[in-house]
Amino acid sequence: MPKKQEGALSGYRMLDLTDSRGAYCTKVLADMGADVVKVEPPQGDIGRKIPPFLHGDPHPEKSFYFLYRNANKRGITLNLESDDGKDILKKLAKSADVLVENFGPGYMENLGLGFDVLKGINSNLIMVGVTEFGLSGPYRDYKGSNIVDFALSGVMITSGYGGKVPTLLPGTPAYDSASVCADIQILSALFCRDAIGKGQKIDVSVHEAARHGLYPWSVPIYSFSLVAGASNLPIPEGRLGAMIYPVYPCKDGYVRVIALTPRNWQALLRVLGNPEVLLLPEWENFIYRVANADDLYALMVEFTTKFTQIELWEAGFREGVPISPIYDIPTFVNSADATARKFFIDVDHPIAGKGKYPGPPYKWSESPAEVRRAAPCLGEHNEEIYCGELGFTKDDLIALSYAGVL
Amino acid sequence: MTRSALEGVIVISFGQGAVIPDAGKILGELGANVIKIESSEHLDFVRTLGPKNSVAGFNEGNRNKRSFGVDLRSEKGKELVRRLIKVGDVVAENFRGGVVKSLGFSYQEVRKIKPDIIYVSSQGFGSGGPHENYPCYGPMLSSASGMLSIWKQPEDPFPAGSNSPLPDHMASKHAAIIILAALDYRRRTGKGQFIDMAQTEVAAALMGERYLEYTMNNQVPQPLGNRCAYAAPHNCYPAKGMDSWVSISVFSNEEWRSFSKALGDPAWTRDPKFADVTGRLKNVDELDKKIAEWTATLEPRQIMYLLQGAGVAAGEVQRAPDTMSDPQIAYDKAIVELDHPEVGKRLYPNIPFHMSETPPVPAKLAPFLGQHTEEICRDLLKMSQAEIEKLKAEKVLESA
Repeated sequence: MPKKQEGALSGYRMLDLTDSRGAYCTKVLADMGADVVKVEPPQGDIGRKIPPFLHGDPHPEKSFYFLYRNANKRGITLNLESDDGKDILKKLAKSADVLVENFGPGYMENLGLGFDVLKGINSNLIMVGVTEFGLSGPYRDYKGSNIVDFALSGVMITSGYGGKVPTLLPGTPAYDSASVCADIQILSALFCRDAIGKGQKIDVSVHEAARHGLYPWSVPIYSFSLVAGASNLPIPEGRLGAMIYPVYPCKDGYVRVIALTPRNWQALLRVLGNPEVLLLPEWENFIYRVANADDLYALMVEFTTKFTQIELWEAGFREGVPISPIYDIPTFVNSADATARKFFIDVDHPIAGKGKYPGPPYKWSESPAEVRRAAPCLGEHNEEIYCGELGFTKDDLIALSYAGVL
Repeated sequence: MTRSALEGVIVISFGQGAVIPDAGKILGELGANVIKIESSEHLDFVRTLGPKNSVAGFNEGNRNKRSFGVDLRSEKGKELVRRLIKVGDVVAENFRGGVVKSLGFSYQEVRKIKPDIIYVSSQGFGSGGPHENYPCYGPMLSSASGMLSIWKQPEDPFPAGSNSPLPDHMASKHAAIIILAALDYRRRTGKGQFIDMAQTEVAAALMGERYLEYTMNNQVPQPLGNRCAYAAPHNCYPAKGMDSWVSISVFSNEEWRSFSKALGDPAWTRDPKFADVTGRLKNVDELDKKIAEWTATLEPRQIMYLLQGAGVAAGEVQRAPDTMSDPQIAYDKAIVELDHPEVGKRLYPNIPFHMSETPPVPAKLAPFLGQHTEEICRDLLKMSQAEIEKLKAEKVLESA
């Protein structure tokens, strides 16, 4: 059942016309209390088809991607390409604070639903268009995808084993970067809306936002490296993760070690009982350790495997070197930290049933961010919104549905 | 006349490393007045990762803010920071857990000075759990959250992660988001508040669906590598040149026919076993091998242009120089050159925000330590030059 307590964005109405690529944008806002109405085509968002599914059943209400990223939203169906659908969207836009879409350059304008039209209906509207490669420019008509946009973000080249294939980050990192860049602009536009007396248009390109969201240091590190002696940060390219932030086996799994400074290294030696072979002074030099990572690994393994993950984690804290366990997902779900913070929240969905979902990653003292309701079933709130707010009758809905509008 | 979105908002940042500094940079780009509190004794460690004032990460992560150099160990220094907080709107910190309390700037103390302050704390594990005081760097977020365990190719013995500390910069965007939402809530209700963000939970939130595989299907989620359960090809392929790669994804059969045509319809792409998505998925190892043989003959950007021209999603795996020569990035002016007095003309990512009514403020250089101490004393604390000089002589203030 929806909880009554208000969130920071309670009172705002947001129309979410995005597909799965934009779901995280409005999810973040819905978690903070915004009334996000997900507007799906009559056949449903393509995101409902993304595997895996509950118990492997490819049912439109059982996609984990859809269930997680659309929790807290209400859902209606609407065919924007029909004349009635366009009229209905204009009615919905009247009472909306924010509209987010990711159809691609020119699509909304071609339907007669561009910002110039909608702002005439509601001058307070904040309209966000997310495109793959921008509204104009040489890549305007290019196609994106999760792996293609991640490749272009400048981060994929750093991910995986040196010499082997660059590796995709789990999730949908480039799209989520664009989503959080959109959120930042939406919230800024809401914050200043009264002061400037109107809404505005916001444009987000996944191609542009991805590197910014994921790792904006890449170009500056390269640019600074062209000045002799200007930066001693590790080379921003190649795949050196296993060398810079090495992973070592231990008694019950793996740990990752972040020893950047000489003090970190000394602390690491103390954690491991000051093994003689590691006391050679050259190992104290970070760059030397990176350059000789394979040799170091061969030496380290003998000592790291004497301890458990938790022993190394805690000893690292005591001695002053960040060490962290590499948890698998069940271990994180059941970890003392996630449990103490009640990070996983019970959510009950009418078809998918009960499940523990990751909650918002923050605790608010006054206006809680929460999971207040499960993801909407297809068209679940048609009656609530079309009849309850726009004045349609149930018979109207039947007719509009048959006509392919809803 | 245009105004910036956050005009008049004052942010007091005790940020260090990436998460809070990057969030402060973003707020500064949106027009907030962001003040970085620091001193030689409490130096942002990123300043120390290279020669003085010449660390790329620092200079990128601290743009569009001002530096206030103050000794937080002295009572007089603390008093000045309290006076700044009194005129401020937001306090943000990502010290190791417990540090702000020892400095006397916990939320409980700060709200006594400024009851409607918005106070954001961001630690690796958040507060309340056994590891609340543990320091946490970017690469640990993926390790401790479970993200790293599935961030690998299925055949890799263990995950290598990345030399970019992912996803800490995504945590900074979440920090900016909660600060903005809290500012708007305060604007509407008059109430400030405390928000505590756990960076490991941000990592988890970015792939929440994978946790449902465990909590609802009782399965341990497995790494997918570069493949996709409903599309093939969907991978990263070696291209011509040293460590050169290109990502390609084909979803529909129509895209597959376009792909085939772009390659000149060689015999193997006409093989009926690749004609539909189920066949391509069933024979994905062979498919990937065939594609890799083709991609190895061309440069990544050539492949990208050829395939995109045919309507197929493809992208070079970019390094920084590729970004710098990317025509769309140039068209978007997504890189900006700033002339730093010590490092000279260097490139930074430009602000990726495009707002029709409140354009972001132009990109500004990161400050030297204490660069704005005096002007902040004058403008915000209304101090006389004599007072400022006295406190400088007492080493309470540092200015550059």
